[in-house]
Amino acid sequence: MAQDIKIPEGILCSNTHEWVMEENDKCIIGLTDYAIEQLGDIVFVELPEIGSEFVKNEVFATIESVKAASEIYMPVGGKIVEVNEELINSPEIINEDPYEKGWLVKIETENLQDDLVGLLEYEDYKEEVS
Amino acid sequence: MDKKTFLYKEQQKLHPKFTPFAGWLMPVSYKGIIEEHNAVRQNVGLFDVSHMGEVFIWGDDSLAFLQKLFPQDISKLTKNKAMYCQLTNENGGIIDDLIVYKLEETKKEYLLIVNASRIDEDLNWMVRNSLGFDVKIINDSHNYSLLAIQGPKASDLVEKLGLKKENQPSYFSIKRGEIKGINILAARTGYTGEDGFEILVQNHYSAYLWDKILEEGEEFGILPIGLGARDTLRLEAALHLWGNDLDETVTPIEAGLAWSVAKDKAEDYNGKSVIMGQLNGTVPKMKKLVGFVMKDKIPARHGYEVYFEGEKIGTVTSGGPSPVLKKNIGLAYLEMKNATSLNTLEKTIGTNIQIMIRNKLYDAVIVKKPFVEKKTKKG
Repeated sequence: MAQDIKIPEGILCSNTHEWVMEENDKCIIGLTDYAIEQLGDIVFVELPEIGSEFVKNEVFATIESVKAASEIYMPVGGKIVEVNEELINSPEIINEDPYEKGWLVKIETENLQDDLVGLLEYEDYKEEVS
Repeated sequence: MDKKTFLYKEQQKLHPKFTPFAGWLMPVSYKGIIEEHNAVRQNVGLFDVSHMGEVFIWGDDSLAFLQKLFPQDISKLTKNKAMYCQLTNENGGIIDDLIVYKLEETKKEYLLIVNASRIDEDLNWMVRNSLGFDVKIINDSHNYSLLAIQGPKASDLVEKLGLKKENQPSYFSIKRGEIKGINILAARTGYTGEDGFEILVQNHYSAYLWDKILEEGEEFGILPIGLGARDTLRLEAALHLWGNDLDETVTPIEAGLAWSVAKDKAEDYNGKSVIMGQLNGTVPKMKKLVGFVMKDKIPARHGYEVYFEGEKIGTVTSGGPSPVLKKNIGLAYLEMKNATSLNTLEKTIGTNIQIMIRNKLYDAVIVKKPFVEKKTKKG
């Protein structure tokens, strides 16, 4: 686990520990450093198929640490347009760099403004979970 | 409210993640499971296993009593030696698995180190079985801490701590000794597949000893190890975990523990007719424990279903990544009655099976156990 993780500006976090960041007309989704710290060494990532659609709070991926499998939920709804293929062979990237190289999926959203309701800014999220 | 071992405050200083386990709050990992795992395989690690139970058996009928409890022949256990045993019920099912140590003392004749989650069950069973025997069953678990020092450099470290190699117990033996001025019982046993020691010490010395072991162990690359790596280490060595791979519905024979069942023991013991029948082939085995390696990168976990040629034939009992092999490994019971297409389960090594993971089948192959060669030293 990298000690000097930089938290990108403008991310919003869910209480199930996913982060979402707007990038042009898409959203990038990943897992927070707090979640990664709790999970420990990540050994396997199961990502959705490109083109599949999920609503907010739906399970879209599974991440396995040494000890257990954890389900990952959509912080906002949308259609998967890109998945981070590098994680298939090197899942440890998530441990090393959860906000940049360790992103999970990119999506096209439909009701982004509605879906963003209830998500927290990083500092507020951090306060809530710790 | 979970109990805390006498080492809780020392551990807190190292900021591990804690987890409730068998009624205790125990560290699950300090620096990361894989890093801790590799430290034990390459150097040495220190484990707090004080949650485990210590039960002393003494009295004139100690031997006869233990002969009734275990499929092993306890009469072959000589002074200072240890034996891995299963506490079996009338059907041969496994109530607990444990190590029996024969001590030097005349009164406290035998020491049993048992699983934390099974102390109460074990004691109930032993008391029920003690009728007519002149024995005392003393649960001393609350007085002792247990520290495990495991890894290829364990012996060097224990020597540095004050127990010269010529005075160290040999493999599967136990000896009284002194390290850092403290009286201890040192056993050459463990749960990692590595050479190592389990150090029994009175509670009020354990924190001092914990600090000294970490201090003196620094030059050997010692790390404190949590329950997470304890589990991955024992799985690589294919050592059973009660509650996962063993329970009251399986016999030692079904669990692949025939090596720890006496073949020519005269005395009767609980479950003997079933166990000896399965050994001789006159009583059918209902299950068989096998080891498997996933061909896919995905980990198999406890409870997942096992398939062979489209038919469900068993259940995974333990599974996860092997840090040494960098593959996913596991143990599973194949149910004999369901295994019609596997017409004989006696020769299963090399058989391709599938594991059902989140409604999809993934390929695996049955392999020889252990997954990683054991480096324990024969005494």
